[in-house]
This record gives sequence, C-alpha cells and structure tokens, in this order.
Amino acid sequence: MRLHALLLLWISAAAAASRPPLDTLGIPPQDEAYFRGGVIRCRDGSGKFTRDKLNDDFCDCTDGTDEPGTSACPEGKFYCQNAGHSPITIFSSRVNDGICDCCDGSDEYGSNATCKNTCWEAGKAAREKMKKKIATYKSGVVIRDQEVEKAKVAFAKDKAELTKLKSEEKILQGLVDKLKEQKSLIEKAEEEERLRKEKEEKRVKEEAEKQAANEKKAPDASQEVDSQKTHGNVQEDESKVADHHDGHASHENQTPENELSVVQHDPEIQDDTSIKAGPVDESPPKDTSAEPTKEQEPTPVNSEDLSREELGRLVASRWTGEKVDEVSKDDKKEHEAEHDMPEPSEEALEDELDVPEPAEDSYSGYRSEVEDDRHKFDDEDFPNESEDEYVDDHDDHVESYKSDDDQKADDHSDLTASGQASWLDKIQQTVHNVLQTFNFFKTPVDLSEASRVRKEYDDASSKLSKIQSRISTLTDKLKHDFGWSTWCHTAMRIFLSYRSHKQGKEKEFYYFYDRCFESKEGKYTYKVCPFKKASQVEGHSSTSLGRWDKFEESYGAMEFSNGDKCWNGPDRSLKVRLRCGLNNELNGVDEPSRCEYVAVLSTPALCIEEKLKELKQKLQVMSSNQAGHDEL
Amino acid sequence: MDPPPGPRLIPVLLLLLLASCPAALAWKKDEFRNCIQTPFCKRARTRTPHSLDAPLSVDAGSLYVTPDGSLTAVLSHPSRLRPLLLRLSALPPHVVRLQIDEDYSANTPPHRRFQVPDVLLSDVEARTLHLSEPKTAGAVSTLALSSDLDVVVKHDPFELTVRRAGSGDPVLSFNSHGLFDFEPLQESKPEGETWEEHFRSHTDTRPRGPQSITFDVSFHGADFVYGLPEHGSTSLALRPTRGPGVEESEPYRLFNLDVFEYLHDSPFGLYGSIPFMIAHGDGASSGFFWLNAAEMQIDVLAPGWDGAASTENGRIDTLWMAEAGVVDAFFFVGSEPKDVIKQYISVTGTPSMPQQFAVAYHQCRWNYRDEEDVAGVDSGFDEHDIPYDVLWLDIEHTDGKRYFTWDHSAFPNPEEMQRKIADKGRKMVTIVDPHIKRDSSFHLHEEATAKGYYVKDAGGKDFDGWCWPGASSYPDMLNPEIREWWVDKFSYQSYKGSTPMLYIWNDMNEPSVFNGPEVTMPRDAIHYGDVEHRELHNAYGYYFHMATADGLLKRGEGKDRPFVLSRAFFSGSQRYGAVWTGDNSADWDHLKSSIPMVLTLGLTGITFSGADVGGFFGNPEPDLLVRWYQVGAFYPFFRGHAHHDTKRREPWLFGERRTALMREAIHMRYSLLPYYYTLFREASVTGVPVMRPLWLEFPDDKETYNNGEAFMVGPSLLAQGIYEDGQKSVSVYLPGKELWYDLRNGSPYKGSVSHKLEVAEDSIPSFQRAGTIVPRKDRFRRSSTQMVDDPYTLVIALNSSSAAEGELYVDDGKSYDFEQGAFIHRRFVFADNKLTSTNIAPDHLGNKKFSTDCVIERVIILGLSSGAKKAIVEPGNQEVGIELGPISLRRSLSSVAPTIRKPNVRVVDDWTLRIA
Repeated sequence: MRLHALLLLWISAAAAASRPPLDTLGIPPQDEAYFRGGVIRCRDGSGKFTRDKLNDDFCDCTDGTDEPGTSACPEGKFYCQNAGHSPITIFSSRVNDGICDCCDGSDEYGSNATCKNTCWEAGKAAREKMKKKIATYKSGVVIRDQEVEKAKVAFAKDKAELTKLKSEEKILQGLVDKLKEQKSLIEKAEEEERLRKEKEEKRVKEEAEKQAANEKKAPDASQEVDSQKTHGNVQEDESKVADHHDGHASHENQTPENELSVVQHDPEIQDDTSIKAGPVDESPPKDTSAEPTKEQEPTPVNSEDLSREELGRLVASRWTGEKVDEVSKDDKKEHEAEHDMPEPSEEALEDELDVPEPAEDSYSGYRSEVEDDRHKFDDEDFPNESEDEYVDDHDDHVESYKSDDDQKADDHSDLTASGQASWLDKIQQTVHNVLQTFNFFKTPVDLSEASRVRKEYDDASSKLSKIQSRISTLTDKLKHDFGWSTWCHTAMRIFLSYRSHKQGKEKEFYYFYDRCFESKEGKYTYKVCPFKKASQVEGHSSTSLGRWDKFEESYGAMEFSNGDKCWNGPDRSLKVRLRCGLNNELNGVDEPSRCEYVAVLSTPALCIEEKLKELKQKLQVMSSNQAGHDEL
Repeated sequence: MDPPPGPRLIPVLLLLLLASCPAALAWKKDEFRNCIQTPFCKRARTRTPHSLDAPLSVDAGSLYVTPDGSLTAVLSHPSRLRPLLLRLSALPPHVVRLQIDEDYSANTPPHRRFQVPDVLLSDVEARTLHLSEPKTAGAVSTLALSSDLDVVVKHDPFELTVRRAGSGDPVLSFNSHGLFDFEPLQESKPEGETWEEHFRSHTDTRPRGPQSITFDVSFHGADFVYGLPEHGSTSLALRPTRGPGVEESEPYRLFNLDVFEYLHDSPFGLYGSIPFMIAHGDGASSGFFWLNAAEMQIDVLAPGWDGAASTENGRIDTLWMAEAGVVDAFFFVGSEPKDVIKQYISVTGTPSMPQQFAVAYHQCRWNYRDEEDVAGVDSGFDEHDIPYDVLWLDIEHTDGKRYFTWDHSAFPNPEEMQRKIADKGRKMVTIVDPHIKRDSSFHLHEEATAKGYYVKDAGGKDFDGWCWPGASSYPDMLNPEIREWWVDKFSYQSYKGSTPMLYIWNDMNEPSVFNGPEVTMPRDAIHYGDVEHRELHNAYGYYFHMATADGLLKRGEGKDRPFVLSRAFFSGSQRYGAVWTGDNSADWDHLKSSIPMVLTLGLTGITFSGADVGGFFGNPEPDLLVRWYQVGAFYPFFRGHAHHDTKRREPWLFGERRTALMREAIHMRYSLLPYYYTLFREASVTGVPVMRPLWLEFPDDKETYNNGEAFMVGPSLLAQGIYEDGQKSVSVYLPGKELWYDLRNGSPYKGSVSHKLEVAEDSIPSFQRAGTIVPRKDRFRRSSTQMVDDPYTLVIALNSSSAAEGELYVDDGKSYDFEQGAFIHRRFVFADNKLTSTNIAPDHLGNKKFSTDCVIERVIILGLSSGAKKAIVEPGNQEVGIELGPISLRRSLSSVAPTIRKPNVRVVDDWTLRIA
C-alpha cells in the first residue's frame, strides 16, 4: 500500500517535472519518424517548415502539423501517452488551458494547473470495466447464438405453416364459393316465395280496401313494406354477425387461448380492426370528425366570454402548446386527452386508401370477432409478458421466456397443423352432404335445409377468414427484416472494417416479434413492441409514440415513427438504441426534444462476436500500456 | 356500414393542413389595441395642425431665470383650472430639457401627475447650466445656451425652437404645428361623462379621467429618423406612418407587451420602450427623448402631411402622444450622430461593462431538462471542440414555477452541477420572472403578502393575475423598499442552490399577465405612491431589471459585475444589463429584422443586445440555422435559444459540414473577443454602441442612411447577413473612400461601391476597413476563461497612406477594479512602416493595477506592399522575421499576407515594431 502510494507520487512528480523534449511533444510514437527530417512538410501539403519550428508555439501549418505539442494551431491534435491507461489524442485547444485532460497530466506542462497522474487508478478502473463488458459479451454471444438457432427453426416453421395454410385456403375457398352459390339460390327461391306471398297479401288487402271503398293507400302501403324490408335486412345482417361468431366458437371447439394466439400474431389487422370496428360498433363517424378540429384549435376564437382564469390559461397555452385546461406547461397530461384521436383518423384514412374492396360480409364479421380478441390480448396477455420480463430477474429468464414462446408456436400447430386435417375433412364432408341433400326445386323452401346451408356457409367462411387472417399475419411477420442480411454484412465490412461474419440471415431479432418491453419512468410506463408499436402509458390512457418503422444504424437502433401528434409539434417518435446485455431490458427513456423520445434496450441480440473480438483487442492494448507501468 | 369516406377524410386532411402551418394561427391582432381603439390616440391623431380652440401660451411676465439657473414660465389657457408650469434647462454640452407640468399650487387635484423616478442619472440636476436671462422682443424670447446654440420661445401660441446660433438654422422645434395639447387633471368626473374604457372583456375604470399629452416635434435637416424600440422591422429608418404618398399605418406604439409570435415588420409595440428618436441627414444629426413611461404612440409624418404646399427641405415632423405623465423632454443637438448618442447617454447613463464571459457565446433552450441533460450538452460542446461560456436554464428548472427554487427531481444537486460547469470556466444562468406564484407554501409569496409588497388592483387588493405558475402576483418594483427586499433574495443564503457562477435572466417583465388586457397588467392597478399602472407601465420591467442587477451586485459584495438579461426595457436599462429581442421565429424574415432591431437598440443606449440565434419559435431549416450563427456571431449578445416544442438544435446536430460551419462562426466570435471587449469598454464610457449602423461611422455617406442589412462592429469591421435561402449572390455596399479587406481571404474591395459578391457557404460577407487595427486571439479554448493568457494577433489593414490604428482594452474581465485604474488600454498606430503601441489609459483613476504576461504572437499586415523580410523590435533591437502567413488559422483557407512572426512583445508594454 505504501509502496503503491510512493509509486504514484513518483509518477506524478515525473509528469509534472519533465516536459517531454520538444521534438516528441504531443506526437504519437508511430508518427515520430515523420518529424525526423530537417525540413518537414505540413501534412495537408500546404507548406513546409524547418525543424526548429516544430513545437515553437507558433502555427505555421494551418492543419497543425508543426504544433503537435502546443495550442498554437486550432486544428492540431495532442497525443498523451497516459502510461498505465490508454493513450488518447486531444484537441490542441486543451493544451495548457489550465484543465487536466490527460490522466498523466502531460497536456498541462506549461500552465498553472497541477495535474495529478491518475492514469493508474483510471486505467485500472477502465480495464475492470472493459473486463466486465467482455464478460457480458461472452455470455451474450452464447445466448445470442442460441436465439439465432431458435429463430431459424421458428422461421422455418412459420414459413412451412404459411405454405400449408395457403393450400388449405385454396380448398376452403372452393367450398365457400360453392356454399355461397347454394345460399344465393336458396335466397332467390325464398325471395320468389316472399314476393308471391306479398302479392297475395296485397291482393287480399286491396280487396279489403275496395270494400272499404274510400281512399287509395296503395302506394303508401308499398312504401311501408319497402322500408320494412330494408329494416329486416339489417336485422338479418346483424344476426348473421352474431351467428357467425357463435358458430365460430362452437364449431371450432378451441380453447380461448388458442383463439387468442391466432389473433395475437397479427397486430396490423388488430389495429385495423380496432379502428374499423369503432364505427361499426358504436362510435358514430361524426365523433372522429369533431375531435381533430377541437384539438387543432384549443383556443376558441371567442375569448371574450372566458373567465379570467380561463383567459390566463388560454394565453399561456399558446406558448406552451398545451391544452387550455392544463395548469402549467410542464404537465404532460395533454397526451392523455389527445392520444386517441389522430391515430384512428389516420388509420381510417389509410383504410380508405389501401384496402382493396374486401368481400363485405365476411370482412366486417371477421373484424368484430377480432376486436374481442384484441381486448383480451391487451388485458391479459401483456401483463403476463411483462411479469415474465421484469419481475423475474433470473439468469435463465430468457430461456424460460423462450420456452413460453415455443409453447405458443405448438398451440398454433395444434390448431392449424395436426388438428386441421380432421376439421378440413369434416367440413368437406359436411358440405358435400348438405349439397347432396338439398332440394332446390322444392317450394316452399325447406326451412331447416336452408338454415343448414346458411350455417355451413357461415362456418366455412369464418374458418376461411381465420385462415386468411393467419396467412396475412404470417406474411406480415415474415416480410420483416429480422437481422443481419447479406447486404448488411457488406456494409458492415465497409464501414466498420469487420473482417467477417457468419454468412446468411441470422434473424437474431426474430424472437422480438412477439414481445414487448416495458420501462417505468416516473408516472409513465413505456411499452415497446418491436415490429409493431411503442406507447407511453399513464393509468388507463395510452399515447402512441410511434409505429414500427425500421432498424437504423446497422441494427443498432429501432425506429418507431408517426405516433400521436403533438400539438404545435411533430408526430411523436421513438428511437430505441440497442446495446449488448444478457437480458432484454428497456431503460433510459428520455425526451430530448419535445415528442421525440429515445430509449435504450439492452439485449443479447447485440452481443456480436466481432465486437467481442474488438473489445478483447482493446483490453490487450490497455494492458500492454499498463505493462510498462508494472515494470517500474 | 362504414361511413362514406368524405366526412372522415376532410377532418384528417384539415388536421394535416393545420399542423403544417402553425404560423398561420400566430399573431392575434385583435388582442391588441390599435390607435382607433385607444381614445387618447384617436383624439390626438385626428386633430389637424393649429386647430386647438385656445392653444397654450406663455405668460410673458412669468418668464424668468430661477436661482437654480433654469428658466421658468407659466403656460396659461383661459379655460383651465390650473396653469401649466414650464421649466427650461440646459446640460452641457448641447442638451436642452423642457419640463411642463400642472401648477398644483393654484389648485391641488386628488392625484398629481407621475414623473418617472430613477431613470435619469442622479447628477443631471447638478449638471445643469446656469442660464442667462432671455432676451424678449415682442412675443418672442431668445435664450443663448452657448456660443453656438440658442433657444427661441414663441409666446402665443407656445412654440420652442433650438437653433444653431451662428447660422440661425433650426435643429429641433416643439409645437411648430400647434398640436400641443395637455389634458388637465380634473377634480371629479363631470356629470354625464364616462371615463371607463372597454377593450374586449376588460374594463379600465380610469378613475382619474383623461390626462393625455400630445405635441409635435420637428427635426430639421433630417433625411431619416431612427430609434423608438421596440418594433419588429426590416427597415433601420422609421418609415413614415402617414402623409401623402405613404401607406397609412398605425403610429409606432410604445407599450411593453408580451406578443406571441410577433410580426417581423410592424409598428405595434413589443417588449420594451425607449421614447428616444435620432434624426440624421446630410446636414447633421439631432435627437429627442421624452421621459414618460405611459403608453405612447408616435407618428412619423411624411412631407406634406400638414397640407403645406412646399415643405422645408430635409425636415421630418413627428407627432408624440402619451396617455398620461408630464412633459419631460430632452433635445439633443448633435451635431455628429455619435454626439447625439453621447448626449442621450449623458442623461440616461452609460451601459454597464459586462464581464468577459457575457460577451462570449451562450447556449440556451426551453428547457435543458435535468442535470444529465445539462452535462450532456456541456460535454457535447467539448466533444465537438466548440467553445461556449454560459449554459442557461429556463422556467422548468424551478419547483412549479416558483423562482429561486429547484425542481429537485430534475436538479437534485444544483450546486454540484454548477461546480462541474464552472470547472471548465463556464457559468450558468437561471430565470427569475416577476410573477410570484400565489401559493401559501411559497415563502416568497407569504412574505410579499405579509409585507404588502404586491401591486394592488383597482379595488386595493393584491393584484392577482395569471402567468406560468397560474395565479400570480407581482412585486411593486417602483417602490425602493421593495427593490431592496428583492435585492436580498439573490444572496446565497436566500437563493438556495445558487453559486457565484450563477447569473440571472429576467423574462416576462413587461409585465406579462396572461389574462390581463393585452396580456399585461390592467392600467388601473395601483403602485407605490398611488401611481396608476398606466403611468409607469413601460418602466415596470426596468425597475425589475434594476432590482435584479442590484441583487447580483450585492451578492458579489460589489466586486462581481452582474449579468442580467431582460426582455422588457426602458430608457436607462443599459445600466443594468443585456436585453434580447424576445420570442422571434425561426424564419428568414426574423433573421433579417434582427439586424435593424439590434441596431436600433444600440442607437438608443442598449448596446448589449441580440436576437435568439435560430429563432425561438419553430424549427429552422439547417441552412437558416447556419446563417443565423454567422450573423448572430456578430450580435453584441450572442445566444442560441429555442422553444420547447422545437427539435434539438445544438450546433452539432446537423451533420459534419454544418457543425464545422457553426463552429467556425462561433470561433470567429471568440477570436474577436479582445476587439469586442474593447468595444464594450468604449460603449461603457461613451454609449457609442458595439454594433453600429453604417451611417454612425460614415455620417456623410447618404448611401448608408437606410441600410439595415449591413452593419458595423465598432469602427473597423463591416458585415452583412445573408437573409435568403439558397442565395447565390449578394450586393454589399462598402462605404467611405478607403479599401475594405475581406476577413476570410484578405482580398481588397473599393469603398463607396456596391459590390456584387458570390455568397460563400462558410461565412457572411465581412470586411475590415482599411486604416484600422483589430486585436484577436486565434487560439480556441473551451470557453473565454481559458483564453486569458493566450497571445494576441493584430490584424492591420493599411489605408491609402499606408497607415492604420486601433485599440485594445484589457482588464480582469469580472471585477470593478477597472474603475480604480486596473486595466490596460493601448493604442496601436501603424505609420511610416512602424507599428507603435502606446498607453492611453488615464492615470488619475485610482491606484489599482492590472497586468498580464500576454504577448503579441503575430501581426498580419494587409496591404503592405514592400517585400520586407524582417522587423526590428524596440526596445531591445531584436530582429524578428516577416513571412507570408495565413490570414486565418482555418485549414480551409489558404490565403496569406505578410506576417510578423513571433514578435512576442507584451501588450502591457510600450514598444515599436519597425519594418526593415
């Protein structure tokens, strides 16, 4: 201990007392040769200088070549050896400015500052830190490799499933088409029958009227019938929807979990449905149109009638861009009131533009079905996930999580793979039977037969839409970019001089697809669902921070954009920086500019082997620099 | 079942549309009174010349010189209860003061008129001349003030003219158009009359009735008039507001207001008011100042406005209207424009000398959120090798907008934070606004309430308005006792978490009252001494600024020069610190108007001013931001600032190239700090501003009179902003007969010529005038603090006689020791191939000394024709080399000029460098 202190003393004394000779001052060892000649060229070719002008505290080369050891050239760089730690290069503006920048104090050889040599402690700490980082990377690389393997399997599985589903879809579509044809025949027959009845009734009625022999009410009456008819149709549609739903549940005979998992994989459609379902279910369209106007104009034109307090808030809100009923500008509550509006309308807009005319009946029916599921998903599934994610802090945490995921995948296969042969056969069989037994030429239409056709049609088309939804879910999922693709390696090699990397697509982010990460900061909970969306949740209100956009910085960050609009500001967005860590952990959520959020996610996916090698090399350099010290 | 697309699409599109143009919803004209809605203005403005039934006239017998040396007279009017008392006095040199108030001895009204206290220097009275008796002939009295100046008083109607005695040429005249009206205070409201005024939902009870004052002032020999801040304007000269051939506009309004997203070009009032106008023409310059803090409206009248067929050549008439107060008017006779400024400064005080750090670059944002953010921004500057001196914290740093407190979750260790910043020689600034949160748990509020220190409403209760914290009250800064109380709030004991490295920013001190009429305090609110708010409104911010600056002064035991930035200002604010042009917008127009605005502030005493670099509201395009840094680097007060809705815009966030450009702009400012500091010294002695209109330096060059795009920094540098996006070329007028040297590459340009120049990316056009010497420091540090010991570079630009001169002022950069002589003031003269440094510091100031070991490492001589190879340093007879050296140490520029290499003479010493 005492020896150590003495050593330190010696080093700092040496640093303070001995200024390196002028011809090496501030020059990295590998560059010393450059300065050997009698006439030295400015590196940028702008001129040359004689050796006596090297470090003579007067700038002759504007690029700083002649003054590596002084502050004379603004563009110069000063090299500190920092024995015991890592050498660094600092701006020449730091030389002799009275502030110790190099841990060996060599940058302050000519100022009043007395700099202690702190390289030994700092170097030790830095090496420790580096070692820890390397350890993290080591374990992380292992986890990552496992994840990558699993991802490959899962990816292949999903792909296979998709192929299978597509062929099933084809078969089922054929059945549905047939049933539809039958159904319309039935309907036609029924219609004829109804018209005939109507005619009959009309005739009877007319006769009765004639008997009454007064005014002619015939046209009115027919109108009445017309409207009744329309009304009836609507009711029919509605009951169909309900039927459909019931039918689906009973026919499938699946557990709710299974249903859930099917839906859960399709956030896009969930979102779409939630929005489309909105107007269908309850909210009249005028709500959507009224609210944005309100939001855009938080300051009513007529401020004359306001109370003095209201007026004060209103005027304040101009500067703060806040809603009038907020108390002060640092309060972020406006998100709460704002958050729901813009997204629905935007989505609605997209729907209008993007959706290419679906078969209306099945489409809307399917939507309301998914809406229900979505609800469950939000309320139940997420909390479970987050518990796994944040409460359990075991080392095997990632594993357990993963197995959970596997199980889910198995569930799907139960539904769609092993179990499906029987249900498809069954449907085929049933349809066949129905088509055989039904007698189209019999009138009046056999009611029980007709309803059987209808039911079979509903069941089959429900099944079809479910398969279609699963197909689109999988298609959506698979089209995403899950990690290092080949071009990326090329880019990597060019930009970061990485020599090599495992070939092919590793898809290390595949298992991010079904996950969400949460972080609590103050009163807000931030929820990040890669490939899907990110939100800020406070109590029961949720503000969208953006929808999935892309990876950035060579898979170093995830971008979410087009979140809820900020009043007088941009649409909210979130950038999640990724860094190597053993667990998937979200933290450091911040809002450096208004409504532009950043966060950090540590994840094994970023524990790249090349980086590990690089770190090891760094540590080696650090240690070799320290070796000189140890010899002392 | 889906709704038809139409109704859903429309609101979405509307929303997108509205979002893209928030500026369209900006300035709300309706919320501010125009002249027609302002009865006193409407009455005065519609009156025609010489139309008053019974104009005020001088009682001939009443005219005499009082024992104090001033002239008095009675102005009477047959229908008045009370006559008016006139007092005419003179201050050397060339200042005439006219005071007119009611004669309360005859009949005392319930309230007297308000005379603004504490604005004029306390020795103004003591400095007045003893006038000789006037010579009266007929109804005209003539009063000789000096050998070259006299005042002619016409008795009926009263009219006053200041003349050059020899020629008899008039310079300034008062009431030559018979518009002088002085509404007398009334005992009580006459039957059937209503005094109340209504504006929008607000009622002004006006319990004291009409009391406005109007008069006309004519500036003879003037081509243009300037001054009257603060208005957004792209024109340096004040445009006429009415008259033939003029698009009639509102009069220039002086009424301190917090205007949301103000217009860059409008006569409506902004944050501060200085009722001082300078006239300049081919003949000479003159000025007029009306010390009155009530709302004022001023018309600049185009020739022929009065219906006169032919008007005197070079005369500008103006109409001055104020809601209340007295006549306390100053006529400044010039005759050079700098003389007019000095004369104005001689009554309102010189600008305070700022600390060195305050002249450097400031970094601000609403808001740096927490200590981590502060540390991150601080190190961002270091990482990018960009110097800065001060980091600012806006209102969010407080605990719920209670000033003098900290939001402890975001700033748990404010002292530690400041210490870390101070370790790099940097400072911090926090905001302290006048609205005090009405919160019983806030000690400041409790104390102010208990002591009765708040401004009262018309009903006598503490005025309760709305501002950032919600319900707020406002300390009555008119009261010296309350200012004393406020001063102590800045002590380290009282302001917890403050350190000696912390300075202050006063915002919202117009005062801004969100729910008040026109976003300010009701005019019938009551101040100390039963003064109505209407009477002192324009000076409220001034008193607040004063009290805050005094607080920092006391905190530093009188040894540390305060730094306080204020948004509101009045005449005299220059004594207390800096001002900025408030909440501007991130657009090219606001960049352009910032130059006339800052120049106007400089002309009216407030030299330490600037606009928010980048524009407060909105996101500047990166190119605009770069241009703004290039222009802003020349502002006397150089600060980047942004609204909290904007994207981050620290200088390194827009790509490497732009980072380099902004770094260069900031470096340019830092290298010129010795020059700037010398100019601040000059301003603090004479009032001549740091940033100057061209005509201040070239008063005979007519081309310069209305040039609001180019400006001088001191006597030696000229710059012109680039105010358009993607501009390829720019026309720059270079005044005078001598050459100008491009600051970037030393290229010479002829004077008295408009040059069409290619626009460069890396700087705005900027030049050094031939015949000048500019001191620089070309080493860049983290902050100005570390530059103290760095050597100087002198840049000499030779004129046609191969001569040049310049100055350098240096002191310790922070204390008041300079007042006792602790400074270096050198004059450098280059003539006959010799550069000589001589001491110009007077030696009578005191016995404190300042010294430094700083040397001159480099002397660049632009325009040196000889192929000289060496110079001899005297004393010592030492030989140093002359080589071609770079004009700037930036790598991108390779231009060279003859450079004396390492003369290494000390700046404190006398020496000569002889070119051999």
